[in-house]
Amino acid sequence: MNASAWPLLELSTRLLDPEEREVVLGDLLETQATTWRGLLDVFGLVLRRQAGLWRDPRPWVAAFVVALPSSYLLMAASFSVTCTYQRLVNHRVFVGHWPTGHEGFPLLLCHMLLLVAWSWTAGYMIGSVSRRTLWASVVLAAVPSLDSLCTPVSGLCLFLFLPPAILGIWRGWQGSRLSFRAASVLALTVTVLMISAWTRDALWTANWALLCPAWYLVVGARRARPNGGDGIWPMRHARVL
Amino acid sequence: MLGEFEYVLITTAAGLGENAYGVAIRDEIEAAIQRKCSMGALYTTIDRLEAKGLRKTWVGEATPQRGGRGKRMVRVTPQGVRAAKAFYESVLRISRGATWVESRMGGNA
Repeated sequence: MNASAWPLLELSTRLLDPEEREVVLGDLLETQATTWRGLLDVFGLVLRRQAGLWRDPRPWVAAFVVALPSSYLLMAASFSVTCTYQRLVNHRVFVGHWPTGHEGFPLLLCHMLLLVAWSWTAGYMIGSVSRRTLWASVVLAAVPSLDSLCTPVSGLCLFLFLPPAILGIWRGWQGSRLSFRAASVLALTVTVLMISAWTRDALWTANWALLCPAWYLVVGARRARPNGGDGIWPMRHARVL
Repeated sequence: MLGEFEYVLITTAAGLGENAYGVAIRDEIEAAIQRKCSMGALYTTIDRLEAKGLRKTWVGEATPQRGGRGKRMVRVTPQGVRAAKAFYESVLRISRGATWVESRMGGNA
């Protein structure tokens, strides 16, 4: 094997689990495979492993049911928060854009809190439901940003949800769990804020879908308690996938 | 019922006994079937067989030849032996009357 190609092979094996990576690298050294054969072997194994993961419904749920729609909704919510802020600061700006009811700073604060909570909980759910296919969820979540290239508004205001979402993904990916009490407080707070915004005609119907991840956390935390059962379907296997 | 490649893997690993590990199994298979055996096919099939309880694997000794890295050792379980035997017997049964089998039997006799 070409010694200069070894780092490339080592890098490619990073797509495998640590234990399997060591075995595969050992195999490649022992067989003295050519660089080309080594790369084919490693990528073939990675592809087969990924294909195996997608036989389970969880990666599909994380990518197509949570990541893609949430990304669209959160981008719209980010834009809405920006518009609300602009209207409060300067009444002549965005006159014709998406009225959000009886606006004021309390409502703006409510929207901002909701945006953070929605983003974090959706990110957490994506990160925890399917860890090894996270790349696919992230790619799908980035699809709506391609649409944003065609909009006349500034790109940044569409992505206010990104920092909390990334934090949520990170926490979910690490497999850390909220306590039942913390998850319940979070879900109840989000629900109350949403009802409050809804009664003031400042929430889209579609936004109710963003409440699901918060309650997913509650159910997961409840089942994860010592006497709470085996864990709900995705949570139980969160560390596996 | 085993698949064809699963049978090949179990039979090869059983033949290698204590020396059954990734590279050795692969070399044996390539020599026997005269075709390349990819690492992906090998390890995903080993995993599938392990999930069915037909073999056990563990990380074995590290050697200098492997850069100090361990081998993935394989041992066929009694259940795996039974499954391979059942596959072999079904191949024998289904092959009865086939022209190539009869001519071979005639030649041997």
